Amino acid sequence: MKQKETIIVTEDLSKTYRDNGVEVPALRGVDLTVSAGEFTAVVGPSGSGKTTLLNLVSGLDNPSSGTVTLKGTAISEMSGKELSDFRRDHIGFIFQAYNLIPVLTVEENVEYIMMLQGVKKEERHRRVMDILRQVGLEEMVDRVPPKLSGGQQQRVAIARAMVSQPDLILADEPTANLDSETGANLLNMMRDLNRDTGMAFLFSTHDQMVMQKATRVITLRDGKITEDLKRD
Amino acid sequence: MWFYIKLAWRNVLRNKRRTLIAGIAIGIGLACLIFYDGLIIGMEEVAIRSATDTFLGEAQIHRQGYRNSREASLMINDPSGFLKDLSVHPAVKAASPRSLAMGMITSPANVNAVMLLGIDPAQEAAVSKIDDAIRQGDFFDGDSPRDIVIGSELADILEAGLGDRVVITVSAVGTGELSQEMFRVSGIYHFSIKEMDGGMAFIRLPVAQRLLGVGDGLQEIAIKFNELKFASQNDLSFWKTFSRDGNEAVSWEELLPQLKTIFEMTGAFRAILAFLLVIVVIFGIINTLFMSLYERLFEFGVLRAVGTRPRGVFKLMLAESGSLGLISAAIGVALALIIMWIVTQTGIDYRGIEFAGTTFQDLLYPVMKLYQFIIYPVGLMVFTLLVGLYPATVASRMSITDAIRRSL
Repeated sequence: MKQKETIIVTEDLSKTYRDNGVEVPALRGVDLTVSAGEFTAVVGPSGSGKTTLLNLVSGLDNPSSGTVTLKGTAISEMSGKELSDFRRDHIGFIFQAYNLIPVLTVEENVEYIMMLQGVKKEERHRRVMDILRQVGLEEMVDRVPPKLSGGQQQRVAIARAMVSQPDLILADEPTANLDSETGANLLNMMRDLNRDTGMAFLFSTHDQMVMQKATRVITLRDGKITEDLKRD
Repeated sequence: MWFYIKLAWRNVLRNKRRTLIAGIAIGIGLACLIFYDGLIIGMEEVAIRSATDTFLGEAQIHRQGYRNSREASLMINDPSGFLKDLSVHPAVKAASPRSLAMGMITSPANVNAVMLLGIDPAQEAAVSKIDDAIRQGDFFDGDSPRDIVIGSELADILEAGLGDRVVITVSAVGTGELSQEMFRVSGIYHFSIKEMDGGMAFIRLPVAQRLLGVGDGLQEIAIKFNELKFASQNDLSFWKTFSRDGNEAVSWEELLPQLKTIFEMTGAFRAILAFLLVIVVIFGIINTLFMSLYERLFEFGVLRAVGTRPRGVFKLMLAESGSLGLISAAIGVALALIIMWIVTQTGIDYRGIEFAGTTFQDLLYPVMKLYQFIIYPVGLMVFTLLVGLYPATVASRMSITDAIRRSL
């Protein structure tokens, strides 16, 4: 049932930046709907608006016009505190450069969001161990990120994004800093998790592998959706 | 909050060298403040001791009006009763009766004005340091009524040495007639205080009283307390007890008001130093925290992106500020202890140097007080937290997209 649920709806979404007094449109009237279980890649050349779209969808940035609705809630109307709580409970992030907290152990990094949610220690530990088992890092719980390889760090980032079971995972070029074999393994793992959990994934990517694995490929050009391909 | 404190400690210790440099810079400021405070207390104590132990006493009793006029006829009422009461007062360690008058001292070579003091040698030795300052001869060791002890400078003026004869001329109280007597120099003292070395002469009390024609009259009783602090306690029963019958008991603070004024000024110097420390702390903390903040901009962006509220980031930065303050305070206290310990072993030799109308007689040692190691470090901690509010506010209000621009 969850796979059919609408997760994101954007309507006439636009964003214009000001650069030295010059207005630079980054996104122009984007209408987009993402449903649960989708494994969506947003592709396009640099400057096409991929990152801006992800920032607006996640509530990290405010649109110049238009709306973003996540599971029926218009996030553009939320206060800063409400947005923080909303992101914490509904969105998982996977960043290109992993961006784990280097002074926290693998377990502490993964459990951080649950800690913000007020999940009890025992429950946190159980869920951390479950997700680390799924990403193959259960032996590394006490290590700190600088002691892990790039691929291992990105797996920790994936575990952190998924452990609180959000509705949507946003990933910016998640394989860009990895060699092709590690990238392929991670992509397969994310696709498996996507199938198992029904969470929606939204990638911005240049990686052909990601495009091939995606169930939907959205092409952005000059801030507009020029193509929206869905496949089973 | 505990999580943020744990995270803050790990972050602060992440760049150990930077934390250590910032901690040492701030710690040196704190150590300077503690050391300066200890030194000022030590200097005050030495100055007071030099002023009071040399000759003045920690308190004096006179007939009212004597201090302004220095009239030898203004003598203490009921001196024997006062001396008896003083001998049993619990706050009083020693009391030295003195008979004072201006006079002339004449040697075969020269003549000079002199303040003549009749003293009881044993009592005087218990109050002042005249006996310790003897450089030639002795301090009334024998029982000759002709003994006179003079200062080194006066001896030079008179070209008089041990055993030489000098003549004292004073004006008898009441009659005003000149009264003369010959003495033999039995001791020469040296204090490095011009007024004392060049203008005072000591003889036995009964001889002075006879010379002045005052019977058992006294112009002054110098007091040494069991504890120096009694001299500053206005509510001490001593003052009331011995300010009666037309007499007045006054502490060194009234006798040497300039010294007290100087001590009050040192409080201002302390405040200036504390202000300078505050400046060091402001720049030290802000510089360190902002370096750390901009270095870890992505981390803060990620923390905010994954759901940390602005208040959480604020708490984290504040905890980092507090951690840095704690490290700095620990370094400062350790440095202060080391410096204080070294200087308390060696002392600082300012002997012979004049300060606020007195001359240092002892080595200067910094004085360690518990409050210096509690109030100043705690003050530093509190101030560090206050200064930390600024970077904490900046961190909590920064744009998430700006922070992670290179990431998402």
